[in-house]
Amino acid sequence: MLSKKELKRYDRQIMIPGFGAAGQEKLKKAKVFIAGVGGLGSPVALYLAAAGIGTLRIADHDTIELSNLNRQVLYREKDIGEEKAASAAAKLKKLNPQIKIETISETISEANVAKLVGDSDMIVDAMDNLPTRYLLNRTAIQKNIPFFHGAVYGFEGRAMTVIPGKSACLNCLYHGVIVPEEKTPVIGVTPAVIGCIQATEVIKYILGMGELLTGRLLNYDGLRMKFTEFSIKKDPGCAICGKAPGR
Amino acid sequence: MSVAIEFSSIFAKYTNNQMDIKAEGKTVGECLHDLARQYPEFGEIILDKNRDLLPSFDIFVNGEDTYPHTMTYQVKDGDKINIVLIVHGG
Repeated sequence: MLSKKELKRYDRQIMIPGFGAAGQEKLKKAKVFIAGVGGLGSPVALYLAAAGIGTLRIADHDTIELSNLNRQVLYREKDIGEEKAASAAAKLKKLNPQIKIETISETISEANVAKLVGDSDMIVDAMDNLPTRYLLNRTAIQKNIPFFHGAVYGFEGRAMTVIPGKSACLNCLYHGVIVPEEKTPVIGVTPAVIGCIQATEVIKYILGMGELLTGRLLNYDGLRMKFTEFSIKKDPGCAICGKAPGR
Repeated sequence: MSVAIEFSSIFAKYTNNQMDIKAEGKTVGECLHDLARQYPEFGEIILDKNRDLLPSFDIFVNGEDTYPHTMTYQVKDGDKINIVLIVHGG
């Protein structure tokens, strides 16, 4: 049941046709695992907190550095040296004190990923490296929960939504390829665009509204200001999702 | 067969800032080799020493994924090939 304050706070989204108080209740009951609160994770967490997602479980092992501040909009110069997860939680709590924030400052690894994701209803992939992205993708498939992928480079970004058993997974998309981990060039507006697309997908999934970005890789080229879609088919022989639950 | 090649803006420096590029070939491989002939520096970015596509790129033809038979994937006149870099930044 939504309180009077919640009904007022979320009034402008509750009035969206098909959303309603029932939709807001769904958001309130949801628990979203956000892997990484950097360039992508900042807008994802901010907009999901503003929308009233009941529980955000945010994981990041890094501390804030000066060079983060061109894109990681949750942080301020005075936060340098603080743990990102704790600092992000403090900001998100100020934005929306009614939601629950759980913080994890551990490195996501093969050994702990299932425990860290816990009983979250979905995973948002806001990481900065492919091995951890694959690990989270596999965990989502194993737990049979959605996975919302986003990645950026310079003025460009990509996004795709994975519904286990129904649509192509990250491994179907990239076939397990690992690219060298180098410092990635990026302008802050790019993860803002892609992070907002990921957050939109999360909200749509919870509400059961609209058409998800499944089976499609959305490619954003900010320099040409152009969005392009590519068809990504589920690989029946995929080592990760080929035997997914629900197939 | 003449196909249009579309690629990330970040590679424009290898094509004299030309973004509307055509290539000739009956397969994706032949078209990429023609692209490398026209713009050798770009060729070095996307192809390995054996002139195969480097694994850090995905190729789509008219929006469809060409994996796993990318280099032998057949193309026809007027098709569009997209060269997409696999990115991991967050």
